[in-house]
Amino acid sequence: MALSATELAADPATDEPRQTSQEVAGRSPTRIALDRLRKDKIAMACLAVVVLFALIAIFAGTLTNLAGVELDAGDPSDDLDQFNFPLVGPPDNSFTWAAPFGIEPNSGDDLLAEWFYGARTSLRVATTAAVLATLIGIVVGLVAGFSRGWLDKAITFVIDIFLSLPFILVALSVSPILVSRFGNSPESLERAQLWALIGVLSVFTWMTLARLIRGEVLSMREREFVQAARVIGVPTRSILFKELLPNLIAPIVVSISLGLPAFVAAEAGLAYLGIGVVGIPSWGQTVDKAVPFFDSYPLYLYAPVIGITVLVIALNLLGDAVRDAFDPKTRR
Amino acid sequence: MRLKKPAVALATAALMTLAACGGGGSGTDGNAEEDPTFEEGGAAGSAKDPTREGPVAVPEGASEGGTVTVSTAVAPTTLDPTRAYYVDSTAIMSDLVTRALTQYVYDPETNDMVLIPDMATDLGRPNGDNTEWTFTLREGLKYEDGSDVVAEDVAYAIKRSFAIAELPDGPTYQTTFFLDGDKYKGPFKDGTDYAGIEVNGNDITIKMARPFVDMDYYASFPAFTAIPEAQDDPETYGNSPLATGPYKFADYKPGSSLTLVKNDQWDPATDPGRLQMVDGWEFEFAQDTAKFENVILNDNGSAQTSMTYDNATPSTYRAFQQEGGDRLVTGSSPCTFMWYLDMTKIKEIEVRQALGWAYPYEDAWRAGGEIVGVTRIGGTTILPPGTIGRKEFDPLGDGHGGTTTDPAKSKELLAEAGYEPGQYEIKFLFSSDDDLSVAAKDEVVKGLEEAGFKATPIASTVETVRDDRTDYDSPINIRSSGWCSDWPTGGSWFPAQWEGELVGVEGMPNPANFEEQYADDEQDRILDELTPEEAPEAWGELDEQIMTTTYPAVITGYSGTAFIHGSKLGGVENDNVRGMPTFGSTYITE
Repeated sequence: MALSATELAADPATDEPRQTSQEVAGRSPTRIALDRLRKDKIAMACLAVVVLFALIAIFAGTLTNLAGVELDAGDPSDDLDQFNFPLVGPPDNSFTWAAPFGIEPNSGDDLLAEWFYGARTSLRVATTAAVLATLIGIVVGLVAGFSRGWLDKAITFVIDIFLSLPFILVALSVSPILVSRFGNSPESLERAQLWALIGVLSVFTWMTLARLIRGEVLSMREREFVQAARVIGVPTRSILFKELLPNLIAPIVVSISLGLPAFVAAEAGLAYLGIGVVGIPSWGQTVDKAVPFFDSYPLYLYAPVIGITVLVIALNLLGDAVRDAFDPKTRR
Repeated sequence: MRLKKPAVALATAALMTLAACGGGGSGTDGNAEEDPTFEEGGAAGSAKDPTREGPVAVPEGASEGGTVTVSTAVAPTTLDPTRAYYVDSTAIMSDLVTRALTQYVYDPETNDMVLIPDMATDLGRPNGDNTEWTFTLREGLKYEDGSDVVAEDVAYAIKRSFAIAELPDGPTYQTTFFLDGDKYKGPFKDGTDYAGIEVNGNDITIKMARPFVDMDYYASFPAFTAIPEAQDDPETYGNSPLATGPYKFADYKPGSSLTLVKNDQWDPATDPGRLQMVDGWEFEFAQDTAKFENVILNDNGSAQTSMTYDNATPSTYRAFQQEGGDRLVTGSSPCTFMWYLDMTKIKEIEVRQALGWAYPYEDAWRAGGEIVGVTRIGGTTILPPGTIGRKEFDPLGDGHGGTTTDPAKSKELLAEAGYEPGQYEIKFLFSSDDDLSVAAKDEVVKGLEEAGFKATPIASTVETVRDDRTDYDSPINIRSSGWCSDWPTGGSWFPAQWEGELVGVEGMPNPANFEEQYADDEQDRILDELTPEEAPEAWGELDEQIMTTTYPAVITGYSGTAFIHGSKLGGVENDNVRGMPTFGSTYITE
């Protein structure tokens, strides 16, 4: 369909003068974005939820003590009935502050304590993996975009290789390797499994950001301000990090904010497949253990599932809002 | 006999468990000590009926046709009749596919298994001192291809069982008891000239190197079937063994599925023990427990003719109990779970006894998904309850009873041996990819640390834990496993696991590395000098002697069975010799 000439002409003519007259003071794009974000009610609500979960994660130990529960303190012979179902706590017995979320069938461990510490593991894994993936993505993307010729080609090739690796397959194969390598020492196995999980998550996610940044840099490196910096002899490193990087804040922030919920969900998914940290409670592990009890003791499953769902939804909506706020094309 | 999944005590979701409520409909508290079926566990199959004749009467309410689906979380490693020694592979082969010289059938009156003839006309005729056994083959036996079963084929199958290098993992009593058992290495290495077996018409005579009173029981193993020499290839025979029983292999995918169809050459008149009511069997191995338990629980469509031979998990067990009815089959199985203490590493008896006080019996069982008092019962003897000649004793004294954990006593004993709390390190395996194994491990660590030990759990995986456990170089000093009776006397216990000569043998048949002169001497004396009547008693005494003077193992309970099936299956009973369902008598109801 052809556009009419009047429509094309109308918008700029009416909009531009009004804006210039109202916004006098110069503001950085980040500043503008944050102001927009602050006015977004959903974003603020989601931020509150995320902050709440972050606090739970940080103060998991204190909260556990405050609630009067303890991690891994189950006493199966006293707390469980003949069929290994809890004798205290909801839903089969009346609510008690001694075990607000109930206790785990078979082992008798407290589920509230596990939930608190599970939040910590989930957020720790997700944040670390997101930061790592972003760092790798930024550096690789900048270098690839700014260098010409063979280095760019080589880096692009490496990115393609990583994109072609089957994620689940690699993740599944890492776990038994770690067990046979570190099996003899429980502590180092725990550490190795935690870092392997973070490693697997970040190694398989930095490529998208790297490509995005490479594209941005490609389009920016021919612009006047970069040319000017070159002419006056600014070293390449400074051009990359002082001139180009500040212009890439928007895609980076968006990448982190959309990556976080993906990592939280991925941690749970991997734990369900048996890839995860044995010994450190996490929501994914609890879900994995709770599945056989979904009709006989559903609370076991609900607590971590609700935790994951609320956190992921909040992070996702927040991520969307951040993207909208940083996107110069959206107008509010 | 080996357990279905030998990593049991720490690694499984209640695969071998001990059940209390006979028939499951009772819905009571499941206190096993009060249950007569449990007490009989170790005596499984002690009844014999040498005159039983076929055909088996068709039960009332049984209909012809249909397919039975059997789902399980485990998978037999091999179905070669010579190698079948795990309870599941033995049950599948013996009940459905390969007939042996003798067999077990379920007796509803005693709720016990009875040893009856199978391909032989009776239970074998020993000479005066049990050094020669003669079995007579029935007339009219045929393979699935229509050819006749001859006595030479049975003789060949027995010779084949000596080929342990080519056909590992099978039962090995023939090497101990049969003539030249230590020299003859099977037909593949030494040819078929073996002096221990004579064939005369339909008569098969087995000569022994030492008196063997339990040969009639041993002849029920699938290794004592008929295998035509011309059709044998040790590498591939297990993928399609020639059927002599009511069903034959239609399709076998090792590790995932087995389809059996009717064998029309099987003649019910020659078989005093088996039924051929259903058209076929569908075994599905390595399935997800929660999934198939739910399918059977909901009982819709084909689930009505489905069953499993795994023990029900506690939540499923509860659901079936609440439902009532007879879809939950419970009973005993003559198995003992043990924590084998490595005698070459844990040298002080005080430390070994301290471990007996330190083990968190009930906590570890529950965390591992066992139902205490229903699927796992504490005990103090190697021989499970009911074994003929078993003696009840308490090696640790002070009312230990096989369920008492007392950290103070453990610390005391450690101090006697000269160890500070936290100084003596205990290393044991667990499967890091099995939630129940991890949970049980957590309880054991808690128990050991409270009792003054330093606990170092060594991570393994479900797939590798068996190899890691039988590896002499593993850094562990405790092995968690168990043993099941092959027949109801100590003769299938001590020579199989507690013989000094077995130390260092590939596959680690003696998991405690137990090598004591007094025990070896006593075993030789019982096997060579005592009469069949005196022997059971003597095994019971030896049990007490070993546990009291050496304490080479912490008894972590006796097992039983509790499996579930769909509403349209009949004749599913507990085969308490193996802790498996009685496939041979199963039918679909009208």
